[in-house]
Amino acid sequence: MRAMAVSSPALDRALGDIVGREHLLSDAAALEVHAVDGVRPRWVARPSAVEQISRALALASAEGLAVAPRGSGSSLSLGNAPGRLDLVLDLGRMQRIIEYVPEDMVGTAEAGLSLGALGAQLAARGQMLALDPIGGASRSVGGVLACHASGPLRVRYGTGRDLLLGVRFVQADGTVTWGGSRVVKSVSGYDVPKLLVGSLGTLGVIAEATVRLHPLPPARGSWVVSTPSHAIAADCLAALLASTLEPDRLAVLNAEASKLVGVDGARAALLVSFGSVAEAVASQGAALERLAKEHRAGAAPVAAESWAQLAPALSGPVKLKLACEPRRLLHWLAELEREAAGGRLTVSAVGQGGHGVLEASLTGPLTARGLATRVLAPLRHELGREGGSLVVERAPVELKAELEPWGPISPELFAIHGRVKQAFDPTRVLNPGRFAGRL
Amino acid sequence: MTLSAAFLRELEAIVGVKGLVTSPEGRLTYEADMHTFYKGAPDAVALPETPEQVLQIVRLCRRERVPVVPRGSGTGIIGGAMAPQGGVMVSMTRMNRILELDFDNRCATVQPGLINLWLSQATREHGYYFAPDPSSQMVSSIGGNVSTNAGGPHCLKYGITVNHVLGLELVTGAGELVWIGGKAAERPGYDLLGLAVGGEGTLGLVTAIMVRLLHVPEGVKTLLASFSSIEDASETVSAIVAAGIIPAALELIDEFFVRAIEEGVGAGYPKGAGAVLLIELDGPREEIEAQAARIVPICRDHAALEIRVAADEAERALLWRGRKEAAGVVGRMTSNWLLQDAVVPRSRLPEIMRRMQAISRRHGLRIANVFHAGDGNLHPMILYDDRVAGELERAKQANEELLQACIALGGSVTGEHGVGLDKMENMPLQFGPADLEFMTRVRRLFDPDSIMNPGKLLPSHPACGEALRPGPPAIPPGPPAIPKGAWV
Repeated sequence: MRAMAVSSPALDRALGDIVGREHLLSDAAALEVHAVDGVRPRWVARPSAVEQISRALALASAEGLAVAPRGSGSSLSLGNAPGRLDLVLDLGRMQRIIEYVPEDMVGTAEAGLSLGALGAQLAARGQMLALDPIGGASRSVGGVLACHASGPLRVRYGTGRDLLLGVRFVQADGTVTWGGSRVVKSVSGYDVPKLLVGSLGTLGVIAEATVRLHPLPPARGSWVVSTPSHAIAADCLAALLASTLEPDRLAVLNAEASKLVGVDGARAALLVSFGSVAEAVASQGAALERLAKEHRAGAAPVAAESWAQLAPALSGPVKLKLACEPRRLLHWLAELEREAAGGRLTVSAVGQGGHGVLEASLTGPLTARGLATRVLAPLRHELGREGGSLVVERAPVELKAELEPWGPISPELFAIHGRVKQAFDPTRVLNPGRFAGRL
Repeated sequence: MTLSAAFLRELEAIVGVKGLVTSPEGRLTYEADMHTFYKGAPDAVALPETPEQVLQIVRLCRRERVPVVPRGSGTGIIGGAMAPQGGVMVSMTRMNRILELDFDNRCATVQPGLINLWLSQATREHGYYFAPDPSSQMVSSIGGNVSTNAGGPHCLKYGITVNHVLGLELVTGAGELVWIGGKAAERPGYDLLGLAVGGEGTLGLVTAIMVRLLHVPEGVKTLLASFSSIEDASETVSAIVAAGIIPAALELIDEFFVRAIEEGVGAGYPKGAGAVLLIELDGPREEIEAQAARIVPICRDHAALEIRVAADEAERALLWRGRKEAAGVVGRMTSNWLLQDAVVPRSRLPEIMRRMQAISRRHGLRIANVFHAGDGNLHPMILYDDRVAGELERAKQANEELLQACIALGGSVTGEHGVGLDKMENMPLQFGPADLEFMTRVRRLFDPDSIMNPGKLLPSHPACGEALRPGPPAIPPGPPAIPKGAWV
């Protein structure tokens, strides 16, 4: 790390000049609120424009400061605790919609805008950004992209990597950079937006996102399939995915999470919605009911609000994200529940049925040792055989210090990852230590 | 460049005598892809059969600083699969097997030389197919599709190749053999997969590809609407998308191509129409019926002359055959043409059509159009005759103006064909110096010695450290830029 060239008061003045005095916070209360995994920054700066992010990062880079970008602050516990932290860049003031042409189904928003606020503007024109992480309406566009967060809509629309067309971001040294395009189809050069998605702000700070939008379906209907066993849930899921039915949202719920949508006594449930013209919604719903019956499960229509009722499902003190072969999702849910039960932990889980991704929150007598030896180690070992992974996305600070939140990454891939970080943030300004492999 | 006898012996030891082409006449086959402006024969062609052989080839070339150029079926139209600096071309035609079909996980793993259409043919009886459908799909390889991040008519609804690739086995230019991605949809770390797809061989050579398979939809409906003018057809495209309908495909065919296709393959397009829209809907039956019922009046409101629904699979196949053979029949109508692949925001289609006509008039050259209208991906063909003095120059000028007009409207220089040699120098229209420098650094991460498909994709720039020969190859007058039998 470079020696400080400028004194702290001078840095304070310089940062204040960049974002405006009133938007530079350094009082103890603010620093406590903006701590990342218990590590308090020295300043919180609230830029209002990409140029301010650029100047702040140029300064940070020159002075060897460690910077953590922040959106809504909902997912700051993702990743390792920061090795160093001087400056939190809070993008909460950057909430403008820069350009929205409904006829093109493309929009550009500043990174700090929440999914909910953006969604409301788009809905007024009959459109949506098809990203719906569970309980994520208050999350920022930039944060959702940087964390590669997604939800039930993934089954039809994919994730941020499928929806982010172009991105304006600021590199560690302050260089404002553009990647991608403003049109729905472009292959000019490397797909830089995809590199930014899921990079947790370690390669650049996302300032503006140009995203592909979709029409809101003219009609929607939701159904829940309640199943008495994981095996029957797996059969129903497989049959659904092998059919010509085209759900626009799909969530696999375990017993605990299914209570949120009014299902009691099921071992697992599928929450399914169809979005199309009314006739197609009705006929697909009827087909789903038949499919459930054929597999000795029950399907019933549920209110549209069921999806919003899932919001608390993943709000426990520990949150995990497991990725596996899609066909093995229910198997891994059962394994997770079995390991957790041994530690008297309660699991609430929501799975992306089409993609083999399971998010789960744990509550109960949590200990770092219990989590590490009872849950993480055995599951990661077995998951590794099918290329799967298990990430601790959230945990109390005192537990996290003793956990490996990301899990292993192969040496060959880690070598390339190291080169990526070295190329774009050689002095480790951006979120040092927080990413996979402590990059 | 001349390869030493010792180097060639080492290469032969890797791929065997049958896997090596060094004769001048043998190498000539590989001097160009479908963009025949650009010629550059490799000094040797290696035809490996295993990923390990590919790895050894790259390591050998890296040690000797010899350029490596990958090649699939050679049907690309950007000068990507030719060797402007010589070196070793790695042809993937012997690596063309399906390695795994995994319907439980709805994916397949294939070797890069596998022909695109073969995968859908192998999976359709099980109810699945591979969605990316470039017009070349009966001959182009999936490795080539991955390399260029190929599109196709149905990308409007289903996305381009990158949206369907789950994993890749890659030999990097640094001489590593790695698997990135896989059946599990996520993993900790950077999205290297997103970089590698569309890398055009500049980051490494792809030796295996895991792709997503989609379930065949319940129903398909194909409509043809004809118009007296291309403006009416363009306005209709914008109106359909603005109505919140995203068809599976939405293709525009202009008067020139309607005539050429009818005279060439006879697809049943209405003769004399100023433009034809090919509209395909797929999905649940009730959905496509309802969408069709909305699209018909939209077409009528925009002065459609005739609206027809394909009565059966045979008629549907015929309508599509006309579209997919469009570039093949153009040779009947003109001696030479230049092709663009630029994109405009879909609401700007009517405007770019007007600007295109102005450019056409200004240069006295006809510009013909057959393209993926639904996502604004143009394929204007500028027709010229190289026997007429000055026409090629005017065609090139018109081409530049057209590209600049697309970018001015907020578009992209290439929607699906890729950059290669063809659009390399156009990249600064879309990207600033910092943006290009970022991409150059990405390239160096994977190719530290500048041996992977050098002199392509990124504009030559002294600071980029490209080991370019002086200047890009001159465009020779004479043969058509893109011959009969290319697919766009």
